[in-house]
Amino acid sequence: MADYAVEIDDVSKMFKLYHENVRSLKEKVLFFNKRGYEEFWALKDIDIKVEPGETLGIIGANGSGKSTLLKLMTRILYPTKGKVITNGTIAALLELGAGFQPDLTGRENVYLNASILGFSKKEVDKRFDEIVAFAEMERFIDNHVRNYSSGMYIRLGFAIAINVDPDLLIIDEVLAVGDEAFQRKCLDRIEDIQQSGKTIVFVTHNVEITREICSRVVMLDQGRIVKQGMPRDVVNYYHQFMETEAEARERGNRQIEILGVSLLDEQGKAVNDFQTGDNMRIRVAYRANEPVDDPVFGFSIDDYRGYTAYGTNTRLKGLNLGTVTGEGYIDFDLTALPMLEGRYLVSVAIHSRDEQTEYHWLEKLFPFDMHSEITEDVGLLFIPSEVSFHPEEEGADGT
Amino acid sequence: MIERLKDLWLHRELLFNMTRKELKVKYKRSVLGFVWSFMTPLIMLAVFSLVFSILSRNKYMSWFVVYLMAGLFPWLFLVNSLMQSVGSVVGNPGLVKKVYFPREVLPLGAIGANIFHFVMQMLILLVFLVVIGWHFSILILYLPLVMLLEIVFATGLSMFLAASNVYLRDVQHFTEVATMAWFWLCPIVYAIGTVQGVLGKYFKIYLCNPMTNIVEMYQYIIYNPRVYASASYLSGPKRQPPVVYLSFWGITGTIIVSILLLVFGFFYFIRKERGFAEQI
Repeated sequence: MADYAVEIDDVSKMFKLYHENVRSLKEKVLFFNKRGYEEFWALKDIDIKVEPGETLGIIGANGSGKSTLLKLMTRILYPTKGKVITNGTIAALLELGAGFQPDLTGRENVYLNASILGFSKKEVDKRFDEIVAFAEMERFIDNHVRNYSSGMYIRLGFAIAINVDPDLLIIDEVLAVGDEAFQRKCLDRIEDIQQSGKTIVFVTHNVEITREICSRVVMLDQGRIVKQGMPRDVVNYYHQFMETEAEARERGNRQIEILGVSLLDEQGKAVNDFQTGDNMRIRVAYRANEPVDDPVFGFSIDDYRGYTAYGTNTRLKGLNLGTVTGEGYIDFDLTALPMLEGRYLVSVAIHSRDEQTEYHWLEKLFPFDMHSEITEDVGLLFIPSEVSFHPEEEGADGT
Repeated sequence: MIERLKDLWLHRELLFNMTRKELKVKYKRSVLGFVWSFMTPLIMLAVFSLVFSILSRNKYMSWFVVYLMAGLFPWLFLVNSLMQSVGSVVGNPGLVKKVYFPREVLPLGAIGANIFHFVMQMLILLVFLVVIGWHFSILILYLPLVMLLEIVFATGLSMFLAASNVYLRDVQHFTEVATMAWFWLCPIVYAIGTVQGVLGKYFKIYLCNPMTNIVEMYQYIIYNPRVYASASYLSGPKRQPPVVYLSFWGITGTIIVSILLLVFGFFYFIRKERGFAEQI
């Protein structure tokens, strides 16, 4: 048997959803302990092997079974079927500050919490200052935790788990807390942990973080693995998946109808993948079901967060289409797409000049992916840039 | 089983910290803090002594306070341990649902804190006896062993109650009522000789109560009836003073029952433990 950090072997987990939560002796006797319940399979046939040193991300919609999976890994829950085997010490952050005692001081809670995580006083002694410094709590460490602000509470909880040096760190959706500076600090610390060869399993809704720190991502839906592999592929799949889940948005009176939209590359082929710097043609085929005076055709490109990257229309371009009848198509030509890696959505609309009448509006229905060879640079857009270096030569001119 | 014990051993510091936490939280925000853990038994002793010195009509009656305390402190330890551990798992949903650790730590921590109080109380009692010039029996040396026996008994029962309370919350309420009735089934405020006469042939059943035997042991080694019981109580069969009734079978039976109960309680707990996070 290979030594995996975590071995999840064909695991299923069933919860009994009782119709009514009766737990008294009377009810037990009256109903002979046969309460009605439904079976709910939170996880079904999950097979995941986590190699030591790997950083595994788990993503998925709400209720997809992510947290249940983590609880199985940490032995809080036990599988209905299958086996979960873990090797090495585990620190789990399922909830920050779980087990903090409000009536003890921060210092006492550090020791208590670390021992709940399974670490000895000696180990904590060694790292105590580090933990306090990380949490930025030097001034308050001897105050009672009940007087802490929620931010302090969370910082201390995180600092303990992340500084006790476990073999396996399990994190559930806790990076979303704290201000940006603290989040940054946590991510840096996670990077250190990765570098020291420790294993991390990580659940989040902020899927973009997985791109940054995970070596592998598993996506769950309704208790099953629907996709796993490279973060980029899985995250793209996730966005696509969430789009199809979202209600398709289409509206308008269809006096002019959009028959189809294609995204064409330079060869005139319909594609969904573009490289940074490529040209793109958005071709919108239409049919006027009745003659329409002076319509405006437009499009916009949004990223997955809903920010519009660019948009324009025939009115803004100074085009007057006159009265439109019959069928035809309109081309929008975009030169040298500047976007770096990511997924974008095209919306197309036909409306009257004053935008009071919408003929046909297709909102974010046409996705495409941007790819880039420029992987070293960061950001949303590629901006052609040159760099030159001009040091002032000290002492050369005698000053 | 061995695995579980190993796991528990790895978490021994947690157990220690939990015990400390129980103690600290109990005296949170009180000025005297730990002083209360010996103030309480001291005041109890003072009040009872005062009451019985007023009520007593002969010198034996005034020794009654020692007889009473020898049984009452151990009894309080049992009741407090049971009551605190029975709710220890259901009372910590934040921990049980969110963190892994051997769950035995919860009832054991509650018992640990009570052991601390119990030891305090017994020390206070011994100091009190030394101060009033009590004639100790040599058997007093058995005191730690008897305390250990009671701890084993209380732990086994506590583990069982704590685990079953997760699945059936009535256990908590039942324990509360049952311990009250149980108190009167043990010869703590009365002498066992009195029941012996009343119960007749059912007396043997009365002796099957392990707590009766444990209380008797405390009374025998602390109260030292050979010196302090009045002559009328010393005329029992086989020259045993019926103010305290101890038999070989009572002692061995209680030891066996306590050990079995501990093993059973521990097994029951780890068998049920897997479902705790779902049930709370």
